[in-house]
Amino acid sequence: MSDHAAVHEHAEEVSIWPAVISIGILFAVPFAFSFHFVYHNGLYAALSLGLGVPMIVMGIVGWVYEALHSEPVAEGLAPPAMGWFILAEALIFLSFFATYWVVRLGAPVWPPEGTVELPKLMPLVMTTVLVTSSFTIHFAEGRLAQGDRRGFINWLILSMLLGLAFISMSAYEWNHLLHEGFTPATNIFGTAFYTITGFHGAHVIVGLGIFTAMLLPALRGQVNEGLVKSGSLYWHFVDIIWFFVVSQVYFWV
Amino acid sequence: MAGVLREWLFTTDHKKVGILYLIGSVAAFAVAGIMALLMRAELSAPGPTITANPSQYNVWLYFHGAAMILGFQIPALTGFLANYLVPLQIGAKDVAFPRLNALSVWLFFAGIILALLTFVLPDPPDVMWTGYPPYSEITQGNTAFYSFTVLLLGFASILGGVNFLTTIAFMRAPGMGWNQLNIFTWSVFAAFILQLIFVPVLGTAVTMIMFDKYLGTNFFDPTQGGDVLIYQNLFWFYSHPAVYVIFLPFIGIVFDIVATFARNRIFNYKMVVYGGIGGILLLAGEVWIHHLYVTGMPDWLRVGQMVTTLMISVPVGLMFIGLVGTLYKGSITFNTPMLYALSVIFLMLIGGLTGIPLAVASIDINLSDSYFIPGHFHYVMAVAGTFAIFGGIYYLFPKMTGRMYNEKLGKTSFWITFVGVNLVFFPMMMAGLEGMPRRYWDYSQFPQVEGLHHLMTAGAVLVAIGFFLALVNWIQALFKGQPAGNNPWGSRSLEWTTASPPQHGNFPEIPMLSKDWSPYAYGSSQ
Repeated sequence: MSDHAAVHEHAEEVSIWPAVISIGILFAVPFAFSFHFVYHNGLYAALSLGLGVPMIVMGIVGWVYEALHSEPVAEGLAPPAMGWFILAEALIFLSFFATYWVVRLGAPVWPPEGTVELPKLMPLVMTTVLVTSSFTIHFAEGRLAQGDRRGFINWLILSMLLGLAFISMSAYEWNHLLHEGFTPATNIFGTAFYTITGFHGAHVIVGLGIFTAMLLPALRGQVNEGLVKSGSLYWHFVDIIWFFVVSQVYFWV
Repeated sequence: MAGVLREWLFTTDHKKVGILYLIGSVAAFAVAGIMALLMRAELSAPGPTITANPSQYNVWLYFHGAAMILGFQIPALTGFLANYLVPLQIGAKDVAFPRLNALSVWLFFAGIILALLTFVLPDPPDVMWTGYPPYSEITQGNTAFYSFTVLLLGFASILGGVNFLTTIAFMRAPGMGWNQLNIFTWSVFAAFILQLIFVPVLGTAVTMIMFDKYLGTNFFDPTQGGDVLIYQNLFWFYSHPAVYVIFLPFIGIVFDIVATFARNRIFNYKMVVYGGIGGILLLAGEVWIHHLYVTGMPDWLRVGQMVTTLMISVPVGLMFIGLVGTLYKGSITFNTPMLYALSVIFLMLIGGLTGIPLAVASIDINLSDSYFIPGHFHYVMAVAGTFAIFGGIYYLFPKMTGRMYNEKLGKTSFWITFVGVNLVFFPMMMAGLEGMPRRYWDYSQFPQVEGLHHLMTAGAVLVAIGFFLALVNWIQALFKGQPAGNNPWGSRSLEWTTASPPQHGNFPEIPMLSKDWSPYAYGSSQ
């Protein structure tokens, strides 16, 4: 075995980023949450967050670039793997919806006392925006397949802007409802509403994170096709979940 | 030295990741075992003995349950054994996503760290491994740590599932068909499908508790329109299949050990795979309500759940037939891994037969929350699973280290442990029939079970000695064991065709397999 091969193999065997991300998660999530909500120590909570979040970001950036510069063990397995992951994700939403259905169908009166009227126009606009973004990311993927990196980047940026618009509208609406006095603690509908829309919104944000991880290397001429295909698959999934959110939470009265 | 440490801690090689899982899960096992000893010490006599604080007992019970299931058994089976064996058994260089695999093991370590912090926290979690509301929401204990431990370990499992299902589906050696897989690989495939479907549900349930307790939501608060039984349903919707997530890989490794040491093909391979493993996969999600018989439900639901629960005996029975048929006319060697594997058949039989009356609602309602229940599930899952894991560790020891453990010490420690566990868990079931309720820290009100409690405490001491001897054996063999060679067992399976320990990339060249190749081709013409 030549020296070059030995060095190469060694580089593939080790990666510090998974450890960095995990320790980051440990600080940013359980520690920060516990310090804030359980032990009511704001300083330690802020320190944990300040230590954890940069570690996670650093870990993901390091990982993305390491993946660009190393050979995968096998080609083309990212999309089926994302398929398995989506199965798990779907079950999270199914659990929340099942809980919602059980309490709703078992309730003596619906909507429960304290519920305010939900806006009808905003969710329709949000639906349009998200569905459009599903098309634009599909076009981005198509551009890439034709070898048009410029077109890919343009469509990708458009998809990200649509995603951002969706999140902004969601935030605006939460703010509006909270000001009207409708909170997660108001009643079981408030609990279900904020949890389901919140988890969906969190998935949109994760999707935007994946898009960022595609965009930044692409601007410098590097594209990880497995990431693009699986990221776009994830985005379509988040889009489909939104139909359930809209129909079950907003328009089922 | 720093180089070696770096190479191990930050490794992405599936074999080293597997060994990291082994170290983490055996550590969790040791600490959770000490908790069990503390509980047995507390119960060695009626009244307060080593603590006068019942909450302290709850913390031990919490740690014992949560760490044994989530920190030891599931990671040891789907982390250590699956990681070490599956890529070798399917003739692959590594798993599909080595970095993701490293992330799984590191999330698992994060979960273990979180669980261990229980011992230094003010107000540690005291909610058992079940975390039932309303108690988990009103206790002084830090329920958030319980939830986050479950979430971290669950996330590790989901990523592991994504990785292994992709690996097994797409990375088998050229020529290897689905019917040429080892039973263990099949069982890992099925176990990870279960993990992907059911872990997210548990994650959702513990998230809801946390939201309720700390963010003021009302999921489980009936005064605000919530429903406390939803938690129990979501929890058992995961946690009953979790038994199969443990059961499938442990029976899978037992199949591989039995075939190797009986020098025999798997009896009725297709029946075991499609009837046994497939049957459990189909039924796993339809039986959880039998954990809720006492919560009140319509009779038709009870009867339906009785039927599906009893039906689980069918695929399990097919597996027993497969195991016994593999032994039949085999040329059997009784060494340490085989003793563990055979004892699993025995323990599963006792655990399985005591499960049948529990499936029947009219009997279960009387036995619910008595010592009969922990007696039963320790036989069927806890002890059988642990013995299979230990058998697996002995079986793979020469492959992992290139050295042989001490056979005599191995057998001695096996017999001490085996006598010990039966001394603990058979009297436990008898105490349940005598009326001893589970989870009690004191039994002054039940003088009729005092003798049985003495037996259990004595058995627990034996178990501890037995396991300690096993640990001594491994550590000694790691440094001083005889060289084992590449295939000390004479197995036909792919993992034994390569070096011990295998180099990075596993095989000098990827094996090419013919249509009639089988990992269990032991001379017979079948």
